[in-house]
Amino acid sequence: MSGRLKDRVCVVTGAARGIGLAIAERFGGEGARLACVDVSARRLEPAVAALSAEGFEARGYAVDVGRRDDVRAMFGRIESDFAAPVAALVNNAVWARFQPLAEIDVETLGRMFAVGVDGLIWTMQAAAPQMERRGGGSIVNLSSVSAFYPAKDSVAYSALKAGVVGLTRAAAMELSGKKIRVNAIAPGMIGTPASIAQFDEATIHARQAQMPLGRFGEPEEIAALAAFLASDDASYVQGAVIAADGGWTVAAK
Amino acid sequence: MKRLEGRRAIVTGGGSGIGRHSAIRFAREGASVLVVGRAANTEETVDLIRAEGGSALAMVADASIEANVEAMVRRCIADLGGLEVLFANIGATGTNTPLLEQTVEEWVEVYRINTISSFLAIKYAGRHMTAQRRGSIILNSSAASLRANAGAISYSAAKAAVNSLTQCAANAFAGTGVRVNAVLPGLIETQLTRKVFEDARARGVESKIGHVTPLKRAGRPEEIAALAAFLASDDASYIDGQCIAADGGVSSTHPYGRIAL
Repeated sequence: MSGRLKDRVCVVTGAARGIGLAIAERFGGEGARLACVDVSARRLEPAVAALSAEGFEARGYAVDVGRRDDVRAMFGRIESDFAAPVAALVNNAVWARFQPLAEIDVETLGRMFAVGVDGLIWTMQAAAPQMERRGGGSIVNLSSVSAFYPAKDSVAYSALKAGVVGLTRAAAMELSGKKIRVNAIAPGMIGTPASIAQFDEATIHARQAQMPLGRFGEPEEIAALAAFLASDDASYVQGAVIAADGGWTVAAK
Repeated sequence: MKRLEGRRAIVTGGGSGIGRHSAIRFAREGASVLVVGRAANTEETVDLIRAEGGSALAMVADASIEANVEAMVRRCIADLGGLEVLFANIGATGTNTPLLEQTVEEWVEVYRINTISSFLAIKYAGRHMTAQRRGSIILNSSAASLRANAGAISYSAAKAAVNSLTQCAANAFAGTGVRVNAVLPGLIETQLTRKVFEDARARGVESKIGHVTPLKRAGRPEEIAALAAFLASDDASYIDGQCIAADGGVSSTHPYGRIAL
């Protein structure tokens, strides 16, 4: 790898598995120092061990990003553990359920927004002062094509991911003066075990047939886009929402 | 890691600005580059690439003319051994004549150089790439395609057509493995925008250029080249049909100040 994130402290939330783990691995390959955040200490431990075994500098932080005080304390610990301020933040953590409108309940909706909207605001709030002190930084938020083109049972999820678009662009505008870039990725269907498990085989084939690239994406492909946005290669990209969906949403079907 | 090692790339409008810097960046990432341009500075781009150990060829041609586009694709395949990446970069801005006084001649010319040239690049590179079932085509659109008052009117409309072409071509190439995406630069100092910068300098307001962008500065051609290189590479292997702005935030936020330049 080309080391485009060499020696930069990068925080990845939801880093224990799936897309988050792939992002941590790619960032490690680009030379980043990894602060891996996940709500589950049990899942985080083997992930951090695997990243360390690959030769990356990785530390785990078992924190619920929906809790503001915990997030603040964690960013303080990250800065002292790495003896350097945070340079990049990837907000990948999400907790979601897909329910028909009639079945959406208070607890589920509250949990989804606590992690997937509040959590992004708390991490950005805590990361921005550190980035400002080092002269700038890059924040990458995970939205979804569902923000624009909702799939089945996604009233709550679409609202959540559209919320990510709004907070990304607003933060981009507000943090520009501190040389902090804020952009979002809108993945389409990514073939993680969790996403595949939602569908039967016929649905999977039907979905793939709608995509110009004819397949689900890989977590590594989202990681590559995150690495671009976090790096100086994206130094003039600000407030962008970039879909990585194999062309799924370009056509009216 | 050199992400374009072994690939053959065409960059049109490669004699200056975004095209020149993209050709240089592609070569640094390992590609052999056919640099196409109308003027002698096309050769200079090739000299710059060779001076740092890269591989490039020059072709002096107008990439808005169909026969030339067909010839440049043939030349790349014949002389560089193939074609995996095409950056259709040429463009021309329109005038700032009041809308009610604009002419059909201006509109036809602006569409010809921005939109139809993009179609021609897709047509001829696409024939080769769909047959080999591999390739990345990048069109140069503009942030002016997304918002008014960021460029001449005919130019903004012609670039919006390029965005639609990006989506439609990605869909037309479904199942072939060929990706089509567009870059949407904001205000970058190039030959196309030189007058804006020169006028601002003459009036002593150069430091105000870019002040309407959230990042408070104009962009550099290298920053568009970095996005084009990303889209050309397998790092963008799941990105298809996208129009991606690199404009300092102009197109994604509400304008909060206007400065006469």
